[in-house]
Order: sequence, then C-alpha cells, then structure tokens
Amino acid sequence: MELRRRPKGQRLISLVPMIDVMLILLVFFMVTSSYLDLDMVPMVERQDDAPPAPSAAPSDAPGLVFVRIGADGALRVGAQDLDAMGFRALLSERLAADAGLQVLILPSGHAPTQALVSVMDMATRAGVQRLRIVRLKEAP
Amino acid sequence: MKLRRAPSRPEHETIVALIDVVLFLLIFFMLIGRMDATAPFMVFPSTAQTGQNLPAGGETVAIAADGRMALNGHPMDPAAIDAALAAAVARDPSLVVRINAHRDAELRHTLALTGKLDAMGVRDIVLIVTPKAP
Repeated sequence: MELRRRPKGQRLISLVPMIDVMLILLVFFMVTSSYLDLDMVPMVERQDDAPPAPSAAPSDAPGLVFVRIGADGALRVGAQDLDAMGFRALLSERLAADAGLQVLILPSGHAPTQALVSVMDMATRAGVQRLRIVRLKEAP
Repeated sequence: MKLRRAPSRPEHETIVALIDVVLFLLIFFMLIGRMDATAPFMVFPSTAQTGQNLPAGGETVAIAADGRMALNGHPMDPAAIDAALAAAVARDPSLVVRINAHRDAELRHTLALTGKLDAMGVRDIVLIVTPKAP
C-alpha cells in the first residue's frame, strides 16, 4: 500500500508587519514634513555684467526713488512720509515718466523683515526692474 | 416545539480596506510635504505676492523673531553659521543660500547675514516668503 502525504496548503503571509511599517512611515512623513507653501524673493543675484551700484543716492535724482524704511516699518521718500497706497502711486507716476526707474531701499536695522518684503513686493508689482537694497556699513 | 436559529458566525473584518487607506494617506503625505530642514523654533515667513518658485537644495538659515539663528535645522550662533557657510561656499561656489526669516525678525540680522554671504561670494541668496492672495 502506498501512503501519500497530504499536499500542504499554502501558508498565508501575515500582513501585520507590513501594516506596522506603513503606519510608521505614515506617521514619520506626517510629523517631519513641512506643509507650508513656500516661495522666495531674491536678495542677491550676482551677475557678472551687472552695472555698478551708485555711490550716492539723492532722493531727487531723475530715474531714482530712494525709500527709507523706519524701525516701525514706515516708508519715507525724501521728506515725505508715505503709506503703502501713496508709495504705489508714486512708483506708478515715476514709472510712467521713466520705465527704467531704479528703486533704492534703505531699511532700518530694527525694521521687521515683513516691511522690506512688502516694499520689494510693491515695487515688483508696479513693474520696477532695478531694485537694490542699501545697507549701511558699521564704522571701523 | 421551539425552533432556534443557529447563531450567525461573526464575519471576519477584512484588513484590505485598512491597508488601502493607509497606503493612500502615505502617498498623499509623501507628495504634498516638503522634506526641508525645519527650524528648531517657530518661523512665520513674510508674505509676498510676487514670490518665485523656491529653488531646491542649498543651505537654509532660519532666523527667529528674537534673532536666534539655525543652520539646516541646527541652532547655532552667527559666528559658527558664518564659518559653516564659508566652508560650504568653498566646496560649492554655486551654492544657493535660503534665508528663512520670521516676518517680525529685525532686519539687522538678515542684512548682516546677507552682507557676509555677499562678501563670501555667494551668487544666489534668496529670502523665503509665503504666497499672499492678491
């Protein structure tokens, strides 16, 4: 008489470790990722053929707007205090007269970062192509 | 005579649906998240309407509202950050430096850092912002 073994049934692979690993990965990505939508504005773009920066910046020079940002974020062009709307209007007016208008920004060191970004944003939206940030160097 | 129904067997709950949901969530979070080095303190960047796409890679300097600084997620003092960035620029002259400054951080921190990076010869320095609705 021939004895035959019963054919072994296929072993089921346990899915529990896979679920564990997936859950760990899920929690890892949820915790370590940043979900802020981030953009950037250039602060320095070095160009080899860029024109040299002006050595002086009189506020009444033609084709130039010299804007100061105070410690409280207030804008001042020449002797004139301006709000955001006034600054936009000034830029539009000066750009209509000179499309190659240059804007120089001199921020106070105590001004908040948002104030500088807002001025750069307004100038870019108005169509200013030449924008520079002026920084005062400490005396030696 | 009273007839009794046989107690119905509890159905096995399938875990396939659970696996589907977890996989879906995993792929979702992998796609929408950014694996950037996060700052060890709260940083809310400035808002701007004219922001451009943030370049990938490079070194990220975070500046908190009170002036604390961190490089690639590690809190460091400004001198150590300068030294680390100088070494990084020496290795890779086309290095992009991203400044993630809190919107209330005083500009003296940001501008001092920008001036030093400019003097080191960094070609691209960008300030991280968040988009603002027009």
